[in-house]
Amino acid sequence: MDIFQGVIYGFQVACQPINLMYCFFGVLIGTLVGVLPGLGPAAAIALLLPTTFKVAPVSATIMLAGIYYGAMYGGSTTSILVNIPGEAASVVTCLDGYQMAQKGRAGPALGIAAFGSFIAGTFAVIALTFVGPLVCNLALAFGPPEYFALMVVGITVLTYLSSGSMTKALTMAGVGLILSGVGMDTISGKYRFTFNIRSLLDGIGIVPMAMGLFGISEVLLNLETEIKRDILTARVKNLFPSLKDWGESIWAIVRGSILGFFLGILPGGGAVIASFSSYAIEKKISKHPEAFGKGAIQGVAGPEAANNAGAGSSFIPLLTLGIPANPVMAILLGALMIHGLQPGPLLMQTAPELFWGTIVSMYIGNGMLLVLNLPLIPIWVKVLKIPYYLLYPLILLFCMIGAYSLENSVAHITLMLTFGILGFLMKKFGYEGAPMILAMVLGQRLETAFRRSLIMSHGDFSIFVTRPISLGFLMTAALLLIIPIITQRKKLSTLKEE
Amino acid sequence: MGRADQASGAFWFIFSVFISYESYHLGLGSLHQPGPGSFFFLTGIVTALLSLTILLRSLKMRAPEETKAAAFEKRGVAKIIPVLLSLFLYAMLMERLGFLIVTLLLFIFLLRIIEKKKWWLTILVSLIVTAISYLIFELGLQSQLPKGILDFLSF
Repeated sequence: MDIFQGVIYGFQVACQPINLMYCFFGVLIGTLVGVLPGLGPAAAIALLLPTTFKVAPVSATIMLAGIYYGAMYGGSTTSILVNIPGEAASVVTCLDGYQMAQKGRAGPALGIAAFGSFIAGTFAVIALTFVGPLVCNLALAFGPPEYFALMVVGITVLTYLSSGSMTKALTMAGVGLILSGVGMDTISGKYRFTFNIRSLLDGIGIVPMAMGLFGISEVLLNLETEIKRDILTARVKNLFPSLKDWGESIWAIVRGSILGFFLGILPGGGAVIASFSSYAIEKKISKHPEAFGKGAIQGVAGPEAANNAGAGSSFIPLLTLGIPANPVMAILLGALMIHGLQPGPLLMQTAPELFWGTIVSMYIGNGMLLVLNLPLIPIWVKVLKIPYYLLYPLILLFCMIGAYSLENSVAHITLMLTFGILGFLMKKFGYEGAPMILAMVLGQRLETAFRRSLIMSHGDFSIFVTRPISLGFLMTAALLLIIPIITQRKKLSTLKEE
Repeated sequence: MGRADQASGAFWFIFSVFISYESYHLGLGSLHQPGPGSFFFLTGIVTALLSLTILLRSLKMRAPEETKAAAFEKRGVAKIIPVLLSLFLYAMLMERLGFLIVTLLLFIFLLRIIEKKKWWLTILVSLIVTAISYLIFELGLQSQLPKGILDFLSF
């Protein structure tokens, strides 16, 4: 099937009324999640996964994907109106978006964010349509050593980009890998690290883990520090940006789209890093860098475009290589596997309806979001007024129901709560959950690839460095590990001199 | 984060050494035929080295101004522990009492005891949330929530 046929087939799948409905629900829930602080797309996808067990895998994936890119739209609304980023990718939007709102330009800020998101999202999906099959063909030539090396790069990039200490992030990746070993070893059939606990025999589920790390722990943190919100009382008007606004921001949108797309493909990259980079670039090349932070429209348009393009392109490594680029994709990978699908280069052939249906649904979803977002802004503002004493019991309840209905078992709730406590402590002690969850999802395949490679080479470790692709990946990883050590040494020596 | 890093570094160090020990007993196999413990033996060692770095670095540079990052507020902890306990209790009693009763009890507990809302508001919100979540999850999405002691009411 060539790309053209694929897209047409995708439209046939995505336009079935049932799939349109799931797409709509996905983007609607995604926007809601994006608006609500304290509940990100990762937790939301994990939460809603059990509700998709009774529907076809295509519809389920369409909805779960919709939640992710929908959240990118919703996140900007809270950033602009109340200076609270609904999710991590909208943190930079606060800088200039909230300033614009303070100056009575909330309307154009919301408008340009929505249009920029739409343009970038659509660009990313179109690029995904063409790049996806290309990567698939390339990946068919990958053997176990290449996969091993690629996954190592993925985990390294994520730890490199993590906001805190890289040593801590790497430690978390190690712990994640270890956790993935719990349960039965697929090669020898032996049980590992189960300590005779019955609920551990099947291994640790990615979904209760994600709900604990990203849902429960977030609530616990917020319980400790009361969230204070000052709601914008002024009415939002003039959603459509003026011609002058467009002129100022169109190139920021274009740059943001391209930048976001490439950063999204990178394993370990994704929407968050894309939005930060775009802001930095816009500020650097602007003729008036002093205007940034005081309500520059480019500071809203660029990052918002970048995070949507990044959200779209991060589907490429998942759908073509079976390797998630970020925690959200990691949960989506878990979801696909629960639905009995094995994402990887063969997915395009074994499940074309899923591959093309999901991609095309993103075109449709982006259109829906544009239509949905602008007129519904007053409603989202009202949603923000839900007091936290009502919101957190609801989030907790949904987590409990979600964990229970995975397999109708209380064991998953206990597991989720355990990870909730762990996640809370981790944040307190300056550790991040993202490397852990990515390593946990990749762990089993990383181990299999590692052992298969050694079997292939008859125990010779040089197999990882004698094959060019694998060598390239591993050198990238090594470079990323060395850079922080060098820069840290420099920092330390300058400190000592002082 | 001097103290906090010492504690967490030590914790992960013991954890990963323990994993390496366990993996060693699972069987390392040979290089030709790596056993079930091989990969995690190595992962355990690497993680142990990383956590040792965290531990040693925190011993070396004590930055007193940063210690507040891991401080626990008494008031916060006093709220978090009862909430967590109520959630574990919810899980334990869920199958015995049934979804409707535990959910109602959980909401009454959170709103009245933890958040100190007025009784009428507590009861009203708890009833509405329980009813709507039952409608959505049990009737709408057909998740099979436990009925518990209300099993005789087959509605």
